[in-house]
Amino acid sequence: MSVPGWVLRTSFLTSASIAAPWLAAVVVTGFRRQVRVLGCIATLLSIMASTALVWRAPNGESLYETLMLLFSCLTLGAILLFPRRDSEAGTIAGILILLGSTLLAYSTGNLLVLLGAWILSIVPFLWAGRFRSRKWRPLVGLLSSSVAFALAIGLIVASTGVISIPNLKGHNPGGVVAFGLLVIAVVFRKGICPTHAWVADAAESGPLVPTALLLNGHFGALLVAKLIVPLFPQTDHLFPVLSYLAIATALFVAIRALAENSPRRLLAFLALSQSACILSGLESRTAEGIAGALVHWFVVTVSTVGLFGILRLLEVRFGENLSASRHLGLAEHAPRLAVSFAILGLALVGLPGTLGFCSQDLLIHGTLTSHPLTGLLLPIATAINALSFFRLFTRLFLGKRRTGFTIPADALPRERWVLAATVLFVVFGGLFPNAIVIRHSAEAVVLDEAIHTSEILKRVTTHQGNASCLQCPATE
Amino acid sequence: MNAFQDILIFVVVAPGFIFAVFALLWLLDWVPSERLLSWITGLTFATCTSGVAALVWKIRSASNITVTFGSWFAVGNYHFPLVLMVDRLSVPFVALAALSSGLIGQFSATYLHRESGFLRFFLLLHLFAFGSLLAFAAGSFDLLAAGWEIVGITSVLLIGFFQRRPAPVENGLYVFGIYRACDIGLLVGIFAMHHWAGTASFDSGFPTLTGARAVVVCLLLLLAASGKAAQVPFSGWLPRAMEGPTPSSAIFYGAISIHAGAYLLLRAQPLLAQSVLASSLVILIGAATAIHGTIVGRASADAKTSLAYATLTQVGIVFIEIGLGWRWLAVAHILGNATVRTMQYLRASSMLHDYHQMHSAIGGQPSPTGKQIEDLLPEKVQLWLYRWALDRGHLDTIIERWVIAPLSQLSAYLSRQDRTRAPSPTTIRHGRAVQVSTAGPAQRNN
Repeated sequence: MSVPGWVLRTSFLTSASIAAPWLAAVVVTGFRRQVRVLGCIATLLSIMASTALVWRAPNGESLYETLMLLFSCLTLGAILLFPRRDSEAGTIAGILILLGSTLLAYSTGNLLVLLGAWILSIVPFLWAGRFRSRKWRPLVGLLSSSVAFALAIGLIVASTGVISIPNLKGHNPGGVVAFGLLVIAVVFRKGICPTHAWVADAAESGPLVPTALLLNGHFGALLVAKLIVPLFPQTDHLFPVLSYLAIATALFVAIRALAENSPRRLLAFLALSQSACILSGLESRTAEGIAGALVHWFVVTVSTVGLFGILRLLEVRFGENLSASRHLGLAEHAPRLAVSFAILGLALVGLPGTLGFCSQDLLIHGTLTSHPLTGLLLPIATAINALSFFRLFTRLFLGKRRTGFTIPADALPRERWVLAATVLFVVFGGLFPNAIVIRHSAEAVVLDEAIHTSEILKRVTTHQGNASCLQCPATE
Repeated sequence: MNAFQDILIFVVVAPGFIFAVFALLWLLDWVPSERLLSWITGLTFATCTSGVAALVWKIRSASNITVTFGSWFAVGNYHFPLVLMVDRLSVPFVALAALSSGLIGQFSATYLHRESGFLRFFLLLHLFAFGSLLAFAAGSFDLLAAGWEIVGITSVLLIGFFQRRPAPVENGLYVFGIYRACDIGLLVGIFAMHHWAGTASFDSGFPTLTGARAVVVCLLLLLAASGKAAQVPFSGWLPRAMEGPTPSSAIFYGAISIHAGAYLLLRAQPLLAQSVLASSLVILIGAATAIHGTIVGRASADAKTSLAYATLTQVGIVFIEIGLGWRWLAVAHILGNATVRTMQYLRASSMLHDYHQMHSAIGGQPSPTGKQIEDLLPEKVQLWLYRWALDRGHLDTIIERWVIAPLSQLSAYLSRQDRTRAPSPTTIRHGRAVQVSTAGPAQRNN
């Protein structure tokens, strides 16, 4: 039986992957029963559509399709991993909205749609119900980033009248002001210093797994890869500033995490520090740095969602006042959760045999090549993060066995499958990294060439004195 | 690919494969019996040792055996070479790793009988053997670093083997911190080789570096080697590592792990020979460690710590030999030291038992025999040295005061800036109470 041609069209597949979770969110909100099943069906549809998109994408141009697939899989995993007490209609609907808007942001080539997706992704976190953090900083961080991004888009559209991202490539739309606003949006959204505190607050007082999904949409890195790098060749001398900020954040937050005893905040700092490395890699302008950043994007996303998920399971089983200030000895009650936690955490900080080792290796090479002195801070930050993670692991899982438990507290079968999938991803990805790295190396080369083409374009336009011809398609 | 290349692949991969299979089976809820586990371990390492014997026989007539798998991953001009190689330098280390892992496996089958972490110990032993064989049989510094890190993490996990006691767990954390800090030298050193020489492989000649670049790379590798070999000023972690089970102490701190740093320097000898500064520093560090080890070891109150410092003294001397360029003397010294120390570690527990029996039989302590060399020193100097040795050369104090404390204070300061509060003891106590009382509802809700 042959598949109709329209089913395999890119526009249909993209629409299907985005519409399925949104539609399911509406159904879940109205129906309020079997919410986990409905969520799983919607995310499975997104996964199938994203897989077809990846399959159809030409080599070197499948970054966003791959990210769509990854995020869909992660959302499915998160829904399966949710403890029953968290699986309410509002929560599932919220993360389905987040999934749809994230996929929309990855797939769109339109500025206004990107802005819409950006805002829509934070809408669940503005609700006063289950999603909203009890602290003010997450709200300020997310709203500030949205306002800065909206102003940047407004400036770009007002100055050029063009809303198509491919048509704006290399034209420096909106000048330094638009560039600055975009950087501010990235800084707030990613929690780059000094705005890092909202991330920890969100993790501490918000819903843990949805917050992990929000952070791992990596909208800040998306903005850098999709807008800042290709659109602003005239401001390339300012790019290193973003890199320095990212490296400083990685180190600053790593040091900050050393004294942290709240497991939620500690994990948030680790995730933030490691994800800041993505920005420095993207900006490194070397093929290995960019490829490392793209692979690290995968590692950070999978690992941190897994870690936050395990932490939530521990909270549900052992109480919500877990602390890293003393040994809790949970490994004897939940050995499989302990092992999964260890593997995912060590992958996050670059243990050999995991995909994290490959991404760190590439990142360090790329960043040191472009910034020999500041790049040195990256392995230092990673080493400190490794120490903080190991401290958290030992405090949570090792130590004297707790008494008073008569119930099995280890991973349930459905949780085991999700955790096994994440662990196998980071381990097999580490043993056979070429399947992932080669795909991203092609994309890295494309991005790298885009940067260098932008530089050439800049030199040419400097000579000709005409940099704003938007009728001509940009050189790619 | 000839038979010897196949053997080399088998020797390196077999322990890793066994680890992966048993770990996967454990995740699927199947726990092997002690008998089966020890039997398979024995078989694996016996086969590996036979394989290494074949490699040794081949190496007599060939300069090296190399297996090239291509690149582990490659981007642009950078690639991570996946090359296994044994030559006359690495083959003794490969043999030592395979043989001692097998012996420790057999010893532990009895020593850890009915211990709750029996399976965990054997899994980590296999993973450690894989890491060390990978490091010694690597054809490039990149691959060596991968094996090096695996050795590090297994070492730390085995220090915390007795996980119910807080002390081993905290000591494991301390060792992990030192390892990670020093491994930065290895990572950046490898990057520098790639950046300046275009390669970090040594399967077909050593990366060509001269002048200041050679010195920088040597110093970075020396940092990594010093951390792994517990050289001054990083020696403080070694006595802490003695918290692990005796068989793991024997293989890690008597035989393999402690000598991995020396192996790294031996590997980098062509580079080291070009730099007087780096060679001198290696000698200086080695001499300081040897002196430190012998003094502190004399004031150590327990058998394993004394043995650890005895090992440290010898490794310090090995560093001096490497710095002086006496490469083969260093290799022979390492092999001898590793063999003797492993035997001493394994014998330590039963020897103490024998001593107790002997004391009971003779009705007291035997009269001391012989003279100590420190008796030649003035009494004041003896006392000063004793105090110095009791605090293990103040090395831990220095690191805690000048590295850990400032970092902790900075972190606490940043924490205050974030206006967050660490959980109070009340909260923690409350947390413990909640843990018990919420177990029922948690299960119901889950």
